[in-house]
Amino acid sequence: MHIDVLEKRWMWLVGLMVVIMLGTIFYTALANAVHPPSNVETIDSTRLHLSEEFAEDKLGVETMADGSVRVTMVAARYGIFPQHIEVPLKTPVTFRIATPDVLHGLHIPFSNMDTMVIPGFVSEVTTQFQFEGEQPMFCNEYCGLGHHYMWSRVKVVAK
Amino acid sequence: MKGRNTILAAIALIVGAGVAQAGPSSQVAWTVETVKLVKSGDPEKGKQLSAMCANCHGAEGVGMAPNMPSLAGQQADYTYKQLADYKTGSRANPIMSSFVAQFSDQDMADIAAYYASMPLPASGQGATGDAAAAKTLVRRGDGKRLIPACAACHAEPDFRNHHGAPKLEGQHASYFVDTMKAYGNGSRANDVYSVMRNIAKVLTDEELKNLAAYYANPGN
Repeated sequence: MHIDVLEKRWMWLVGLMVVIMLGTIFYTALANAVHPPSNVETIDSTRLHLSEEFAEDKLGVETMADGSVRVTMVAARYGIFPQHIEVPLKTPVTFRIATPDVLHGLHIPFSNMDTMVIPGFVSEVTTQFQFEGEQPMFCNEYCGLGHHYMWSRVKVVAK
Repeated sequence: MKGRNTILAAIALIVGAGVAQAGPSSQVAWTVETVKLVKSGDPEKGKQLSAMCANCHGAEGVGMAPNMPSLAGQQADYTYKQLADYKTGSRANPIMSSFVAQFSDQDMADIAAYYASMPLPASGQGATGDAAAAKTLVRRGDGKRLIPACAACHAEPDFRNHHGAPKLEGQHASYFVDTMKAYGNGSRANDVYSVMRNIAKVLTDEELKNLAAYYANPGN
């Protein structure tokens, strides 16, 4: 079968591009340890408000003995509770979030806090905030008619 | 008899207020069992059980006075939850708590099914606000104050609301305003995770009046 020289060169070039791109993805994923959420922890979503950890009066920001911060939150149609939280700058902050209803996703801009919140599971993310100021925390998984109203305020303050 | 009722009412109020302050806002969990129980409600039995209810909530499920809520057409899951909350003290009202004490879970499901089988009231009494002015809040909410559109949970009459959100169409305006104010000051707190308390406390009196008028006359 005759293949034109120019065609052959393009085939090599395209093949090389695919290898480079896949290589980049694999390298960054492995080198930066990108992985799916590793915290697999189940909870009964229908009884979430009756649970020990996610009871309404237990939600909020708590400073642990080692100086790190734990934030317990609930994402429910259509809000993120508590609606206002204050977290310290450049300190390990562990979010523990659950939902009593449907799938939600929570994201805070200018940070790597981004997680799905799946009914029946507890989502846990640990991050450090690098920038001071107020940011929205919003839902980025379509969850229903009020999805685009689902956001809360996160204030990052210097210690 | 009257004296005993007053004492019972006082006890219910004290216990109710105590429970409402701490602990979960409601003991009702929408587990498969609860959903099945509410679905199994028998409107015929509910009709017999609700003979007393008619004194205030009307034979047709329309509140006899503007401060007595209409129950006609209300979603069964919502009515069931309120009855259960009165029973456990999550929602405090001496009169309702004393009535509900005699009902089993199945009775409450039957009563809820009975009211759900009626059509929503055509209109409610006591509207003084401007219904048209409320449309923005109903359809768009107010993002800056973290207020979702009312219609996101309290859907248009032809659609079902998800668990926990009542139908509002045809409700008496005075009852609507009273309820929202009770959520706003926390004297009513059986909304799981403060979903309504958060909204009610940032709405102005003017907005509440307008919203009440909007829902009292859904045809407009």
